[in-house]
Amino acid sequence: MGGAGGFWVPGPEGKGLQAKISDEGSSLHPLLPPPCIIQSCWSLHRAQRALLETPSSRRLSSQTKTTARRRSQRIRSIGKLAHVQASGYLEEQTPRTLLKNILLTAPESSIVMPKSVVKPGPAPQVVQPSSRESSRGSLELQLPELEPPTTLAPGLLAPGRRKQRLRLSVFQEGMDKGLPLSQESRGNADASSLTSSLNLTFATPLQPQSVQRPGLARRPPTRRAVDVGAFLQDLRDTSLALAPPGESLTAPVATLPTDTVLEDTQPFSQPLVGRSPSVHHSLPCPSHSGAEDAERAVSHRTRSTGPRLQNNSPGKPAQLLAGKAEVDALAMNFPNTSSSIFGEVGVEPLQDGVGGEAEERTEKSLSMSKVKEAARARGSARAQEPEGHTQVTEAEGSQGAIETKEPEGSSGDCPTSSRRVSPELASSTPEFLQAKRIQGLEPAPPPSTAVLPSEPLEPLSARLPPRARTPGPKACQNPYKTGLSHYAKLFSFYAKMPMEKKALEMVEKCLDKYFQHLCDDLEMFAAHAGRKTVRPEDLELLMRRQGLVTDQVSLHVLVERHLPLEYRQLLIPCAFSGNSVFPAQ
Amino acid sequence: MVLSTTVSQRKHIKRKAPRGFLKRVFKRQKPHLRLETSGDLLMHLNCLLFVHRLAEESRTNACENKCGIIKKEHVLAAAKVILKKSRGS
Repeated sequence: MGGAGGFWVPGPEGKGLQAKISDEGSSLHPLLPPPCIIQSCWSLHRAQRALLETPSSRRLSSQTKTTARRRSQRIRSIGKLAHVQASGYLEEQTPRTLLKNILLTAPESSIVMPKSVVKPGPAPQVVQPSSRESSRGSLELQLPELEPPTTLAPGLLAPGRRKQRLRLSVFQEGMDKGLPLSQESRGNADASSLTSSLNLTFATPLQPQSVQRPGLARRPPTRRAVDVGAFLQDLRDTSLALAPPGESLTAPVATLPTDTVLEDTQPFSQPLVGRSPSVHHSLPCPSHSGAEDAERAVSHRTRSTGPRLQNNSPGKPAQLLAGKAEVDALAMNFPNTSSSIFGEVGVEPLQDGVGGEAEERTEKSLSMSKVKEAARARGSARAQEPEGHTQVTEAEGSQGAIETKEPEGSSGDCPTSSRRVSPELASSTPEFLQAKRIQGLEPAPPPSTAVLPSEPLEPLSARLPPRARTPGPKACQNPYKTGLSHYAKLFSFYAKMPMEKKALEMVEKCLDKYFQHLCDDLEMFAAHAGRKTVRPEDLELLMRRQGLVTDQVSLHVLVERHLPLEYRQLLIPCAFSGNSVFPAQ
Repeated sequence: MVLSTTVSQRKHIKRKAPRGFLKRVFKRQKPHLRLETSGDLLMHLNCLLFVHRLAEESRTNACENKCGIIKKEHVLAAAKVILKKSRGS
């Protein structure tokens, strides 16, 4: 049962193991990367059963052959587990018990660190970061081995991410020591024999280590082909440039393939990591970037204008649309790197396009430039428009500015056709200007943005009036009725039951009577106090006489219960800083 | 019937106090008197409590009659009781 040890297996090794498992008739799907733990459980399940059948025959196969070695490695681990299980839970071959046993046995392997398994130095481990990402357990195993030669923080043993950090530092240290580990790794290569599929002489103790620590598998393996030579070269470069500790980590991140995001361990280098993928996205599409730059140079407009631009500017819509995808990808990307590269490129084509347009419509360009100036002046007031609003948000992000610029540029190229776009452009120009200020880039747009602000302003203004709506007609006609109906609505709310309309009218009548009584009472109380002004004390007295305010329930309690916060603050005196009380008493 | 005589109870409750309305009502009733600033808020509170009591009483009357809808008679009977209660004098 060679496939029994198919614990999280990275790369083709895993597939090989899985193939073995499948040969055994496992239920695992060969294409799917099964969870490591489940896989291990299943594999252990079968392995244990097989072991129970012929344990001795397996253990004898301690040969240098890759497969045989693999089996032996696995079988040893399985043997441990089987032993553990045989002790108490032979009959309960459930995944739960298997997992438990795995976790129980896992620490043993990491601490004990049999030489054959631990031998592979950090170099091979680091060399294959992509393949080893999932096998954290192997990293853990690596750490204790590295400690004697290098001084590593003990705390790095526990978390998987920290192990990744260690890989780099450890590798660097190993490199500094003249690659003594590489020889060890070679020695272990035979032992591990799992790297055969990876075409690496370095041993891959990961496999046996992973076998010994299957419980630590947290993620499915992310398989990636890694150019070992290039990787080593990058690592060496980074180790050489290790003078500034902070930069050392960022540099490798930039040089290393973006896939190995895990290599980056410094917090401040993460933005670079975040950028790098986007940079990679942008790199393979220079054509798109060119279109984007053209857009950027002009001004900003978001995807909304993209399709319109397509209609309006047939010359550049394809590029724009294509660039939009990149724009979105670049949204998260910092403009510093990409924009600096592309901005220059984009400006040229844009200017060319703009020049062509300007020649065709010199008059309009002049008017547009004037209008644009006017639009800019009003641009600040345009922030309220929804389009501008989105633009502002983008500009504030200091990233969307690039995006916004791009569509504008193309739109500016076709002023006549992009009348519809002009309103958006006009509104976006202010944001674009703001974004430019934020980014400190010189607006190339001036002529390109050739938007017709006058035209956009008109349609925009036309939109505003329809929004205004007159309030209910009854309010103007009968304000007294309106007030009463307000309280009638509250009545229906308090009643929590459906009511007839006649009942509501009845309620309004009652309210009318109530108001009369109320005013009479207040007048009486004020006159009793010798005042002509009704004060809150009169109201409180009234409520007390009504039975609302009692010795148990004070007025403030009622205020807190029924009135909103704003009124509560006005009614209940509260002490503020500076020895002041509001409202003053 | 398509037309419904009942009023839906799920209404948007306005938390704002109609301060202008209350001031106007008081001024119309007692033009020779003045009302303080916080007075109309307490007036509003008084109205709320009155309406609350009225609604509770009406609901009780409707439930006593085993009626799922509050009718005019229920409200009328409740108003008599509550108005007498909130006389204050």
